[in-house]
Amino acid sequence: MNMRVKFVILGVLLCLALGAAIFAAITTVQAIQQFRQQRQLTSSGDVSTIRPWMTVHYIALTYHVPENYLYHSLHIANPQLVRHATLRVLADRSNQPVDNVIHEVQKAILTYRKQNHQTGIAPHAGQLNGLPRAPGREHP
Amino acid sequence: MSVFLPIVLNWLLAYGYPVIWFAIFIASAGFPIPSALVLLAAGAFAQAGDFNIFLLAVLALSASVCGDSAGYFIGRRWGTKVIDWLETSKWNRFIPPSSIERGRARFKKQAAWAVFLTRFLFPALGGVVNLIAGADPYPYRYFLPCDISGEILSAVIPLSLGYAFGASWEAVGDVLGSFSIFALALLAATFLALYLVRTARRSRIEKIETAKEPAIVQLKKTGTVPPDNPAQRSGELPLS
Repeated sequence: MNMRVKFVILGVLLCLALGAAIFAAITTVQAIQQFRQQRQLTSSGDVSTIRPWMTVHYIALTYHVPENYLYHSLHIANPQLVRHATLRVLADRSNQPVDNVIHEVQKAILTYRKQNHQTGIAPHAGQLNGLPRAPGREHP
Repeated sequence: MSVFLPIVLNWLLAYGYPVIWFAIFIASAGFPIPSALVLLAAGAFAQAGDFNIFLLAVLALSASVCGDSAGYFIGRRWGTKVIDWLETSKWNRFIPPSSIERGRARFKKQAAWAVFLTRFLFPALGGVVNLIAGADPYPYRYFLPCDISGEILSAVIPLSLGYAFGASWEAVGDVLGSFSIFALALLAATFLALYLVRTARRSRIEKIETAKEPAIVQLKKTGTVPPDNPAQRSGELPLS
């Protein structure tokens, strides 16, 4: 191959690689910022961070709401059968979009917080260090 | 997010540890399942008490080493024949045999690093590297220690991050994914820059040698060196 052509090809490839590196660096910084933002929202208990992969048990632990209360809000009669089901699975079983199920859970959590804030009653009988203890489960 | 991830997560919660093992195994063998995301999610569920984090680490390590070994032996069984065919076949017009030979020699030199780094830093290339390592063939007794040491990191990093950050594991996955692309692009840019500098240097040396050649030929013939410029011929300094 002609040396001049070789230099041009190598130069173009180098520019592409540098461009990709800069683009990926910017994406990484944005991803870190997004992660910090989401972490902050999750730790403050913001219900907008509820995701389709979460189980009712997981939501109960993360957002400090009794597990049975959430099952009751979702009209689930037998919680034992759906203990390990994600919100996506629950939505598929009830033939509705997963966003509806998420919305119902968000509404239930907000209602629960509002009620407990107004009455000043302890959130759950099995509360441990401020966290409601889900029946039949151990805290990590 | 991968198409397979929600399915794997549903199975993971429904059937537990065997699904983790099987998902990591086939991901390591080259099937497009994002094993790092599965491990991040498993770490998050372990934080909620659904799994034991240490058992998860052991299972993930054993599954990934078995999957990598499966990829290696598939490459050894069929990949060698493919490379031999590429080197000898007259139908292959796209890759010259000399390039294949050079690639093989380069891989032999860097195989340990390639195997180690593709376990956790560039996991997307892991399946291909396993096949090439088997096809080359890179000795299994060297492949296995590099594989295990890389896979320890590839299991421990996502599991511990998932366990630490819980519900934010998807955002952590985005950070890891984009950092991996950044590292790969940076590595490619560094390699290309070094290659460009080396090629430029080699070209300059070749030019100097080409310029010297007539002088050497004359020295051999007559025993005298031809003068480079008129000033040297006359014994005077060149006037500007």
